[in-house]
Amino acid sequence: MERFALEALGVSKRYGRHEALSSVDLVARPGQLHGLLGPNGAGKTTLMRVMLGLVRCDAGAVRLLGAGRDLSIGRVPDGVAGFVETPAFYPYLSGRKNLALLVRLDGDGGAGGDRVERALEQIGLGPQAEVTVGSYSAGMRQRLGLAAALLRSPRLLFLDEPTSSLDPRGARDVRAIARRLADEGTAVIWSSHDMAEVEELCDMLTVIDRGRVVFSGATGELRQLAPAAVFLLRTSNNDAALELASSQPGVRATSLTDGALEVSADIEALDAYVVALGRAGIAVRLLERHQRSLESLFLDLTEHGAAETRAASRGAMNDSGPSQAAS
Amino acid sequence: MSIRGVLAVTGVECTKLAAQLKTRIVLAACVAGPFGFAAAMRVQSSVPTDTLFGRSVKESGFAIPLVVLGFGALWVFPVLASVVGGDVFSAEDRYGTWTTILTRSRSRSEVFGGKVLTALGFSALAVAALAVSSVAAGVLVVGSQPLIGLSGELVPPSKALISVALAWVTVLPPTLGFTALAAVLSVATRNSAAGIGLPVVAGLMMQLYAFVDGPETLRQLLITSAFGAWHGLLTATPYYGPLLEGTMVSATYIVVCLVVAYRMLRRRDIGG
Repeated sequence: MERFALEALGVSKRYGRHEALSSVDLVARPGQLHGLLGPNGAGKTTLMRVMLGLVRCDAGAVRLLGAGRDLSIGRVPDGVAGFVETPAFYPYLSGRKNLALLVRLDGDGGAGGDRVERALEQIGLGPQAEVTVGSYSAGMRQRLGLAAALLRSPRLLFLDEPTSSLDPRGARDVRAIARRLADEGTAVIWSSHDMAEVEELCDMLTVIDRGRVVFSGATGELRQLAPAAVFLLRTSNNDAALELASSQPGVRATSLTDGALEVSADIEALDAYVVALGRAGIAVRLLERHQRSLESLFLDLTEHGAAETRAASRGAMNDSGPSQAAS
Repeated sequence: MSIRGVLAVTGVECTKLAAQLKTRIVLAACVAGPFGFAAAMRVQSSVPTDTLFGRSVKESGFAIPLVVLGFGALWVFPVLASVVGGDVFSAEDRYGTWTTILTRSRSRSEVFGGKVLTALGFSALAVAALAVSSVAAGVLVVGSQPLIGLSGELVPPSKALISVALAWVTVLPPTLGFTALAAVLSVATRNSAAGIGLPVVAGLMMQLYAFVDGPETLRQLLITSAFGAWHGLLTATPYYGPLLEGTMVSATYIVVCLVVAYRMLRRRDIGG
């Protein structure tokens, strides 16, 4: 087995004046679930396209399962699969026929039928397999895209926002499939906007912003980059508390999805903030030390701290990837 | 690029074509159209006297495929050539399926080869279907009487059949040339309407040029000139000059268009 399932080193891509990717490194080992994070337009999908040979890079090298290739004309190596954006199929053919065509395209004739049935069963599309893809929902096409990838028995799997159109149960199933594949030794590159999903699922992370890697390393290492202590705060009026925090020196508060506030401050600033809350008639109902959410770190990385954290990420990458990756 | 890979892509493309309504309609029209024409000629009193062999459509069944051949050169062959050729690449843009097929075990060269082979094969099949159907319609509806050749000589049925078959074979190179033109437009424009429509418009423009005083060299370079090369086969003393010229011009169109299309597809960023 290869030491690295994926080695993308120094990948750059420019569209006219726009620098879509700037010397991006991305390395993944077999069995690793590697999250690829970044805001819209950060370059995640372009990077996926480069790695799958759909877009030619201007500089850099990509090795998939140990094999380098001319990405502009070479075929995708056996064992590499995936999709970018919403998977597309021929709308006048059924889901089953689309998959059968892809099996033929891969050059697998005889055992193809069994593999199609297995893939359909795995992603739960069996009952709709005879329906033409033109009448599929976006979620069903996403499932079919995953089935198409599974047909290639992937050892390196690229998934671009694979749960974006799925209902919660469908998303859970897809995450379970990705986890199982990783447990079996497949390297999965999982591009997503869903921070909670990536935090739950991925062992390693690469964060891209404006075409540059601003962090690459383990999820735990990303948390260690937090510069200040973080507290979870619940009050009688969270909106007013959030507004008050903006006027308190040394205090930074963000609203979490469950309505609580995540407050970043040292102990003196926090004391002053709590006193100010009391004076403003806002009751503190809960205040406890909190593990910093990946989301707030992500926002820090992509909005403010890119330059500061890059050095730290290089260090993290040195621990996880080949020596060239950090150079 | 491997032959096996090209054939795999060709097989997939043929399956896709077989599932499309437009393909069936075109082939059905190729088969049924000549029978409708022959039946109409038989029942109506007038004949198309302004067309080569038009005067003979009631006298010899072998005149029917030659009239269809002359009519086809105007726009039918460009349409048959581009209905698949002009759509075979741009359909992937329309459906967004480039990413699906280019992330399988086939290189761009193999995908290109398979698609071109399918388009050329379909054009040849459509022409063959039209030819066979025209001959069958002429013989069954009108009869297998001797044919009056372009020099006024009487051509016996067996020889007439061979001459008609050869005449239809001569339109294959320009038809394939139009297919290659449609393919390059399909790649360049990424638009099926342009891929199918522009070759037909180009064909009509070239036909119009035949009525304009202009350089003879330019006229010889027009691929539509090759559609009339079969006239030399239906004279008492056959002449092959236009046939050779037309075949060379067609071959040039095929090679140039396919090389350009291949280079464009190879260098293209998909969805980037």
